[in-house]
This record gives sequence, structure tokens and C-alpha cells, in this order.
Amino acid sequence: METDKPQLDVIQRWMQAVIVHPDGVVAGIESAAAHSEVAITSDQVEEVIGRSHSQTSIERLEVYANAYRARLLEVLVGEYPALIHAIGEDAFVDLANGYLEAHPPASYTLAALGQHFPGYLAKTRPPKDKDQPDWADFLIELARLERIYSEVFDGPGIEHATAMSVDGIQSMSIETWLKSGLIPAPCLRLATFDFPVHEYATEVRRQQSPDPPEIQRTYLAITRRDFVVRRVGLSEPEFKIMSALIAGQSISEALESLIETTDQTSEVAADDVRQWFHNWTVARYFIGFRPGG
Amino acid sequence: MPDLRLGYPNLGLGVGLRTVHFPHLLQHRPAVDWFEIISENFMDSGGRPRAVLDQLAEHYRIVMHGVSLSIGSTDPLNRDYLARLKALADSIQAEWVSDHVCWTGVAGRNSHDLLPLPYHEQSLRHVVERIRLVQEILERRIVLENPSSYVTFTSSTMSEAEFVARMSDEADCGLLLDVNNVYVSSVNHDFDPFEYISLIPADRIVQFHLAGHTNMGSHLIDTHDGHVIDPVWELYRHSHLHTGGASTLLEWDAKIPEFPVVHAEVMKARQYMTSTLNPRVSWQAHPSLQETEGAATVPHPASVLIAEVE
Repeated sequence: METDKPQLDVIQRWMQAVIVHPDGVVAGIESAAAHSEVAITSDQVEEVIGRSHSQTSIERLEVYANAYRARLLEVLVGEYPALIHAIGEDAFVDLANGYLEAHPPASYTLAALGQHFPGYLAKTRPPKDKDQPDWADFLIELARLERIYSEVFDGPGIEHATAMSVDGIQSMSIETWLKSGLIPAPCLRLATFDFPVHEYATEVRRQQSPDPPEIQRTYLAITRRDFVVRRVGLSEPEFKIMSALIAGQSISEALESLIETTDQTSEVAADDVRQWFHNWTVARYFIGFRPGG
Repeated sequence: MPDLRLGYPNLGLGVGLRTVHFPHLLQHRPAVDWFEIISENFMDSGGRPRAVLDQLAEHYRIVMHGVSLSIGSTDPLNRDYLARLKALADSIQAEWVSDHVCWTGVAGRNSHDLLPLPYHEQSLRHVVERIRLVQEILERRIVLENPSSYVTFTSSTMSEAEFVARMSDEADCGLLLDVNNVYVSSVNHDFDPFEYISLIPADRIVQFHLAGHTNMGSHLIDTHDGHVIDPVWELYRHSHLHTGGASTLLEWDAKIPEFPVVHAEVMKARQYMTSTLNPRVSWQAHPSLQETEGAATVPHPASVLIAEVE
């Protein structure tokens, strides 16, 4: 009688509870989550899963349990090579297992698997002893950078977009130009760090063996050109004005807020601004002007 | 008039598109009949994978093969996923869209594995209903693949072959007969793979899959990490006879060799499109399970790209 057997939804919730349990299939069968669906012990599992000529029912379920964890760890290992270099593979696997319990995969794409990992590390970090950035901060920053790399690499880009026209810029009056805003490239990210994590990550990707760096306030622009992720160190003022522009301020507003928040004279800032705009055009951080009001 | 199966053409001998082969394909444009992509690896891509796919789609015929449709799950269908799947299919003019007879998760989770169903009347009704809905949303007939599996449920009241046959007829969908999966499951679950294939309605079979697998000593795992073994080729010969021939694709997802090696492997299929079965090969209920050394043990083709950083 089919009605004597567990319904499809029940058997699916049971099997999932069994194969994703962090302590293995037997612990999964004995777990409250599995028991709430099918109340059997590991000795009774053959009532649900048949054995084969060469494997017990537990061993057969272990094929899925082992593959589940191995597959997800493989994805995270691929995404966070610099973090693994810093803490070692065993410690990384411990962290990753904790993360997978806190954030089990829900998306249809494995690309989303690691999206909450930096936040998870920040939330579960050990308490700080002092005000200075510490080892845990360095690891969290590495994870944050590597996640940004992944998102920029396969996110929307500018490879097929028309570059901002130099002729168009030159034909604008200074008033029009100052009132305008700039449209950032969809792949542009700005990020600050307390360590030069970009240099560390690059050395790891070049198969070098870097030592952990000293504290150094770091401002980065991360973007993509020709389908390769580019990261460029910025000065603090350049970072601030780019942040203001990305936030939607006009060029004049961004310049004014920069002058207000720095101790530089407006003359020095003007020199810098010319160089910055040149750099931004070459790097294609911005893809167009937004007319001012 | 091309040879159509459920309205879909026989594309010939194709290869699963993998990122490691991108440079070779772009540089050499090899003479390959068609490519199959893993849908989820491209449907959200705004980077190199999608750009390469768009270039290849101008020169080759493309089939989309998904791993997250989860047609058998008792969770609601993911409408956002289906919308993205349809958008990609329309954009690259995919020949057809396929996935697996399986479920990948429940209660909001995705295990990223192709989990087997118990085969009974309730699961059949459930899957048929969902296939009809998916076909309405995608506005095309979908094609579903028999999974490789490592467990069986005592609640099953019919064989997988009977389930797949009835499912395809009742839902009016196509079938992707993965010959290697039939072999893997036949060894793991002690059934006759030739009989399995004979039970599948030939007119529903739109496509074949071929792949290598890993012998674990006590069971086989569908790892797609090597050459197709002889018993699987003989099953392919049988399948070709059964159907009269259908689009055939080789999957190679771990320890992937250079493209010419992969392409040469699928071209071997021509040798098996003959009319006579090899009398030397017959099915054994318990073939010798000689463990493969140093082999991969994690099945599944979906992968994540490693970011290229300057």
C-alpha cells in the first residue's frame, strides 16, 4: 500500500536532513530534524533505503553526504586562495564548515555560495584585545577582497560599452562640466582596508609565499577590463572624491566636499583633480556624464 | 527535411563546453557539431563566460543543460530561475533545454546534487505536473535526463525505467538518455541496463550522454573524469539501435584533458553506430568492481569560475 509509505515531501526533508548533517549520516538519521520526518534509528534505515549487494544503506547514503560537503568546500577553496594561504587548509575547512552550517546553500548557482562568507567571519571573529587592526581583521579583509574579485569577474562589465568621449568632454563648458555627475562603470567597486590585502592576494595568485603584511590603510578601486579584474591603489583624497561621485554628487559638489574634508589647498587639489580625471578616463572607471540640474 | 525527434534535430556528435577549453575554441574554431553548456554557469554571467558563449553561439549550435531545475522537489518551482533560464535560451537560441529527473533540495536549500526520487504514483504525478508547468513557462518542450544514483527507496513501486517512460509520455517531454548513468545505476542497483534502455520509449529520446565514471570498488560514481569504458560504448550501440540515432554528447568535468582529446573521445561514437551488437560484451549482474586509483569522487558538472586578477 503506497499510503503506508512516507509522502514525497517527508522523504525529501528526511533525506536532506540525513545527508547534510555535519557529523555524518548516522548522526543525521538520529537528528531531531530527521526524526521529525521519519522516526527511525540508524539500525532501521533499511526500512527506507534499500541496501545493495555490496553496500549497506548507511554506506549508500554516505555517497551523497560526502559529495555534498566535498563539492561545497571545493567551491569555497577555489574562491578564497589567499585566505587559505594565510590560515592553512585545515583551519579554512573548519571555518568553511561552520559557514556552511550557518549559511546553507540556497541559490540555484554555486557562484552565490561564498557571498556571505566575509560577513560570517566578521560575525564570528574572536574578541579584539586592542584597538589596532589585528590578525582576524586581516583574514576578514582578505575574504572581503576575494569575494569582490569573484563578483567583479563575472558581474556586469564595460567590455562592450563605448568609452567616454574625450571630444565630448572638451566640448563641454566648465560650468556644464562642474554641474554634471559621472556614471560609474557597473564593475567598479571602491573598498578600504587596514592592510594591503591586494598585494598579499596577488602574490598568492602568483604562486609566491607572502608573509602577512603590516598595518597600512589602503584604498582600492577594483574594476574589470578585457574580462580581467584590475585593482588599483588610490590616495585618500582620490578615494573620497570617487566615493562622492559614485554616491551621485555632481563634480562641483564632490570637489567642495573634498576640499572641506582635507587640509590641502584648493590649488593643490586642482592639480590632483586633473591627474585623477585623466587616470579615470584611461581606467574607464566612469562610463558617461549625468547632466546636472 | 532534417531528422527530427519531437521536433528537435539530430545535431550529431557534440562536446560539453568547459571554460578550460575557451582559449582553444576561440583560437582554432574546431569542427565540432554542437556544444552543450551548463545553464547555471552562464545564466547570470556578465563576464568572460557569457562573452565567449555569445561568440561560440554565432558559429555552433548550442544546447542548454541545467542542474538546478529540481523538477522532483516538493518546494515550489523557482520562477525567477525559470525566467533567467528562458532569457538565456532565447538569447543564444538554444536548440533545447534539458535537466535531470531528480530533486536538488527542499525547504529552501540547494544541495547542488542530483538527488534521486522514490519511484511511485505520487512522485510520478508530482513530476508530471511540474514538467507541464515548466514547459508552459519556458514555452518549449523540455528534455529530462535519467540520473545516476547511489540509493534506492523501499517506497518505490516501479523501476526507474518505467517511471521515466511514463513520465515522458504523460508530461509530453523529451528524454536525454545518459548511457553512462544507466550503466552506473545498473551496477549500483543490480539491474540489467540493456533491459532498462529497451523500456525507454525510443521516440522520446532526443539526446544521449556519454561520460566516464569512477569505480570505487563497492560502487560506481558518475564523476565524468575519464574515457568512456567499453561496456558503456556497447550500451550506446544498443541505444543507437533502439532509437535509430540521436544527438550525442560527451561530458568530461574533472581532470579535463586538452580539447582534441575530449573531441576524439566523442568521435569514437561513430564506431558504435553499427547494426550489430558486440557478442563479446554481455551484461553481468555483478561486474568486477576494480577500484580506480587516484580518481575523483565528487560527481557533478556545475562549477565556479576562479576570478582572473591582474
